[in-house]
Amino acid sequence: MMHKHTYILVSVLMFIASFLLIAQSEIKDPFKLLTHETEFEAGQNILLKFSGYSETNPLLYCSNSYGSVVIQGTNKNTILTFEMPKSIANKTGFVNWKLLTKGTNLSGKFYITPKQEVITMETYLGPPSIEAGGTDYAMLVVIPTDPLDNPLQDSTQVNIKHQFLTSEYNNVLYTNYLIAYKNLYSETKSGRMLISSEALGTHSKEYTLNVLPAIPTNFEISYQQHHNYADGNQITTFTTSVIRDKYDNIVSDGTYVDVFITNKDNNILKTSGTTINGIATAKMIHPDHEDAWTVKAFIEGMAESAPLALNFKQVITDFEVVFSDNSRTITVGPLQSFMKQMIPDGLQVKLHFYQNDTKIKTLSKSSFEGYVTFKLNEAIIPVPNAINDTFKIIIETARIEKSFENIKL
Amino acid sequence: MKETSNKYLIAALLIGIAFHGTAIFFTLESTYDALIHLFFAEHYSTSWFEPWNYKWYTGFTVMSYPPLVHQAIAALSFIGGLKFGLFTVALISIVLFITGVYRFSLLITSNRTAAGYAAILAVLSSSFVETLHVFGQLPSIIGISILMHALPEIYLWLKTGKYRYLLTSLSLIAVTVTSHHVTPIFGMIFFIFPLIGMVIMDASREQVNTMKDVTFKVFLRSFFKLFKRIVNFGFLSLVIIVGCILPYWINSKNNPITQVPIPHGSRDNFLEVTSSGLVFFLIPWGILLILLPYIFYRYYSKRYLFFGLSITLLTILGTGGTTPIPKMALGDTAFNILTLDRFTLWASIMSLPLFGEFAYRFIEGDLKTLIQDTFGAIYHRIIGGILASLFLFMTIFTMSLGYFRPSQPQKIKMLPIVNFLNQDQHDLWRYMTLGFGDQMAWLSAQTKAKSVDGNYHSARRLPELTTRPIERLENSKFKGVEGIGSLQQFLTTPEKYHLKYIFSNDKFYDPILYFCGWQRLRQLENGIMVWEKLNVPPMPSILPKDDVALWLKILWGIMHFLTVLIAFMLNIQMLWLRALKTKEKLIPAYLNFKNNYTGFSKGVLKITHIWSVILAICVSYGIYLFYIKNDSHRSPENVIMAYYDALDFKAFEKAHSLINPESNLPIAQYMLEISVTDGVLSSYAKLDALKTIVTSKTDSLASVKVITDWITPLERINKVDYKSLVKRNGKWFIQPEDINLDLPPDQLYSDNSTRYFNQGRRRVTTEQTHHEDVLKQPVLEILSAKLVKQNNHYTIIGEVQNVDNVPADVVLKGTLYNDANKELATYNAKHQVKHKLMPKEVSSFRINFEGIAWSKTQDSIPKTFNPDEFTPVAFEEQPTKFNLQVAGNVSGSDLYKATTLSALNITSEAISGSLFNSGLEEVTIPQLIISFYDADKTMIWVDHLFLKEGIRQQRQQPFEYKLLQNNTIKLINSDMKNCFVNGLPNEAISNKVVPNRIENQTQSVLQPISHPDYSYVKIEVNTYIGNPN
Repeated sequence: MMHKHTYILVSVLMFIASFLLIAQSEIKDPFKLLTHETEFEAGQNILLKFSGYSETNPLLYCSNSYGSVVIQGTNKNTILTFEMPKSIANKTGFVNWKLLTKGTNLSGKFYITPKQEVITMETYLGPPSIEAGGTDYAMLVVIPTDPLDNPLQDSTQVNIKHQFLTSEYNNVLYTNYLIAYKNLYSETKSGRMLISSEALGTHSKEYTLNVLPAIPTNFEISYQQHHNYADGNQITTFTTSVIRDKYDNIVSDGTYVDVFITNKDNNILKTSGTTINGIATAKMIHPDHEDAWTVKAFIEGMAESAPLALNFKQVITDFEVVFSDNSRTITVGPLQSFMKQMIPDGLQVKLHFYQNDTKIKTLSKSSFEGYVTFKLNEAIIPVPNAINDTFKIIIETARIEKSFENIKL
Repeated sequence: MKETSNKYLIAALLIGIAFHGTAIFFTLESTYDALIHLFFAEHYSTSWFEPWNYKWYTGFTVMSYPPLVHQAIAALSFIGGLKFGLFTVALISIVLFITGVYRFSLLITSNRTAAGYAAILAVLSSSFVETLHVFGQLPSIIGISILMHALPEIYLWLKTGKYRYLLTSLSLIAVTVTSHHVTPIFGMIFFIFPLIGMVIMDASREQVNTMKDVTFKVFLRSFFKLFKRIVNFGFLSLVIIVGCILPYWINSKNNPITQVPIPHGSRDNFLEVTSSGLVFFLIPWGILLILLPYIFYRYYSKRYLFFGLSITLLTILGTGGTTPIPKMALGDTAFNILTLDRFTLWASIMSLPLFGEFAYRFIEGDLKTLIQDTFGAIYHRIIGGILASLFLFMTIFTMSLGYFRPSQPQKIKMLPIVNFLNQDQHDLWRYMTLGFGDQMAWLSAQTKAKSVDGNYHSARRLPELTTRPIERLENSKFKGVEGIGSLQQFLTTPEKYHLKYIFSNDKFYDPILYFCGWQRLRQLENGIMVWEKLNVPPMPSILPKDDVALWLKILWGIMHFLTVLIAFMLNIQMLWLRALKTKEKLIPAYLNFKNNYTGFSKGVLKITHIWSVILAICVSYGIYLFYIKNDSHRSPENVIMAYYDALDFKAFEKAHSLINPESNLPIAQYMLEISVTDGVLSSYAKLDALKTIVTSKTDSLASVKVITDWITPLERINKVDYKSLVKRNGKWFIQPEDINLDLPPDQLYSDNSTRYFNQGRRRVTTEQTHHEDVLKQPVLEILSAKLVKQNNHYTIIGEVQNVDNVPADVVLKGTLYNDANKELATYNAKHQVKHKLMPKEVSSFRINFEGIAWSKTQDSIPKTFNPDEFTPVAFEEQPTKFNLQVAGNVSGSDLYKATTLSALNITSEAISGSLFNSGLEEVTIPQLIISFYDADKTMIWVDHLFLKEGIRQQRQQPFEYKLLQNNTIKLINSDMKNCFVNGLPNEAISNKVVPNRIENQTQSVLQPISHPDYSYVKIEVNTYIGNPN
């Protein structure tokens, strides 16, 4: 049974196949290309015409760089006409086509050129800011395009204009591989460069390129103060000279300047400022004791100032200490400044309390109207147990120490 | 017999709907759970058949919660919006609960009047009020209500064996399980088992003449007779429980809950944590506590014996951590996962029938007669009055709980946030809310933007979240330091989650946001501050999801409404018949077992009296203890406690009342002094622990050492204060502290600074930003970078400089590799870097490689967790190389640089000194970044210090930094060839931008120190301005 079915199937297949072969061999290729132009302008109505006739109209396969499409033609009086769809006719470049017949390969290609008129100037500029000095540059890329958004033909003239400070420049370029580009190098001055371009009478919009100053160079530092007393209250202001780069451009606003102050104890204090019009301002409060400062400012890795020295004079030379209330109330003062005026509020006064030569407590208070009062109540310093304990109090302010031994509580 | 309408039930329904129906509009939205259910409902309303939700936790499945209530709200939302759906479902739940209690009570008491009383009492019972108006647990309420409706049907099936009842009972069980999965599972044990016992008792009772004759033998015989029905019911209900929410069980199996236990108040020891005791024990029980002897007496009578056992178990389990029994009974795992308040809720609901019965007997039954005969009519009235007022007091007290102690922040207007997220493609990034409470769910429901956080912690999948015992990131400050620690991880590496926007309703989090490199964008008109992070890429358009089979989706989408539909058809038909009385109806079998309400037991009355006295004594003692503890002037400890408490809650008037009145410190001056102190401690700290040690004490003077622990967003602060106290007229007072008297030199002064503004898009358009509007990324340069090993931690340290002409926001991302170039870990610089750099400014940095804390089971959560500490990544292989990616973005914010180092004093143990604020802004939190150098002046370590106090303008603030001792640091790699800036090699940038760099220029001004490990330090200052002018 099985064999019988197979036999029938094979014979039927052979029968059908023989018909197909005959059909193919009978058809001749009747089509011939009538359109001989191989170049069209974008947006034109592009028609490909073929002479010939068959019962079923063959399709036309078209392919450009955007993709492929199969088009149906119209046959009138044995002339087969294919109209390129807009998606193909509007784009520049080669179009390959092939007529989909069963016979010989009828294929070819044609070229679509852009319209020679500019509607938009596609322009790219980057980076938007560069450094002065002639080595840094930004690239301007201009692509003049026709109304159908096709880049214009190569060797289209593009004028690139830019203005910087008092000069205006015009460069003539020709598009190559669809684009025109120019590297715009900075000059030694900082400022703003305005750029435009033009092709076939169409102008681009304005582009902006900021030329920022290069890295700073060494500078000077100076100081201003109301007096040079170490009152722990007034503020000294440090000002740099106008900081410039090596091309004499003032550095960008906001440039950070570190100011290091080395004091008499060889400790390094620190303040900082940011520049405005090249001048950085940093502030520092006066010390509360005699001191000598060496000040040096830095822009890390790039620039520095010469060292600057300044001195602060001691204001408090001596002070009174009064014990009352069984030595449990201690009044320090008057604390007087350089003109015998009361020192401005806030001067730190420390009281070190020693029991049998060991420090058991340090109290710290800030002055008020020239005086500081310490109250040693029993909760702070308990009533001594041993009768022969010795107590010592040291009062310290503005680096002056006064010691009081054999205190009785 | 013609059935009359039960006027008590009708009254209960009318009162219930009027009372709860109006109150829900003021309470439901500020409950804990209601908005979460609303969020789920919103999910179903937009994608009914798609269980995956992208909005929370980087995606989760809603198959993790039975959907009936959510789908019901969603279905109703098509008519009148989500909130309409929510309130409608709440109203339905109220009706279901009242009728459910009535039917359950009728089943138990077999007395319509008693059941009617129970229904009325149920309306106002404190446990129901709490569950609905404080917790907002709609599914739970609906679940238990339907279960109560099911109980009579189950009884009838077991008793009569009519299949109709089997169908109705199973249909109701199905609805129960689709609304709340836990209710039927535990309901099986605590409600249905005792009910089966009761049926057998009743069946046995029919065999013999009196209840006394029901022996164990008779009982056993009845049991075997009913065995087939019981097994049939048990098996079928199990099938229903599994089958109706099959996708839920499959999901639970596939995504087992990996969440570590989250502490819940119901597991506390109620005697220690009295607030939990109040909320989870006293309120749900309410007046039932007085009736406990009666309830137990009745439930332990022979017929209800099994209910007696059940309610005993429920009562004990409901006590949480007060006794060790619940933990032993449930086992550690179940104890830590379940919230135990549900047991108390069920116990109180189980008591309701007997409460109704008691009320009935007290008002018009044998108890009334007994009391009137024994004590007289006046006494009866007084007792009645007391009980009624106590009952109403508990109701009103519970209702007002949310008013006096709001559990949620004030209602936030969401529209500005929703609009913000819709603008300018802001929803292409994830967002997070801070300090929104449960309202975050409402925000999520309204926007299509996605959040990193979420409010249903069982569905979490990110290990960063499941390993933390915190509910939500957004309220992490209440979860102590674990919460803050978890939050910090998200804030430090937001790129990982595409997290760009944070909506902050709580300024507590501001410092941590700032120091993690976030910047303020603007304040919305509802007062919410928007923070943003630069350099975060948007979310990909295709997000990962765990897909499930189509049949599960379809089952999940239609099953639950189907169960309701079936239950409706089977049950309501009967209800209609019963209600319309169109057909003569059989009296349900359970009504045959009437109680004889004559002769109230004198013993029970006596015991109830004694019990009431004991309760009264306990309550009075509790109040007395509360008074002693809160009488602030009683002892020095109390004063200190009250004072710090007042400061913590910013109750300055109260704090001032504790200050020695003889110190002549008027409140105006005190307030002024408080108002001028800013800083992390006074503005951003939460008091965590307080310990008082009295160092010396006389009759009128005391000095105490106060050790306080504060949780701040940045670190745990341990502070020791010494306070002096005085006794005046038998009351203790605190001596006021001296304030800083420093007088700045200038009254008015000026300062110039450069400020920046970034236009963003110059043209108002929804198009993509024009390329000429895109700013160049500022060029940064990595001056040095090295991989070092400190003890067992690997870190990258170094210095970065902004070499551009514009200010930059700096993001540093380090990656570690082993010798075989296998990536081992990646992390960002947290707060050991100045995130905002002016042109040419330098910052030292340190990148810690943080692992997901406590991800390994053996890592126990430390009791004293410090937010500043972290769990280092556990490396399986040795890191030997590193890659450092630095990204700069133009930023014009937070560029205050006017804080200077004005004094220094260096010893071998510590660096002390003071900072001076020379600018125009008040510095809220100063931070020192301290870099250490060896003798060759090469950097070996970077550390930081946050100052506790802020610095006002032109004033100084002292600091002390304890030098690290025995800090062994080993250099692993200092090869900088894998350092990149904005994706370009660092070396190329360096050669181009600063070709002639003066190497090591500022090394001449490094601060020398005498220390065995380090020779020099460099101190940099970074500042957070809380309120920029």
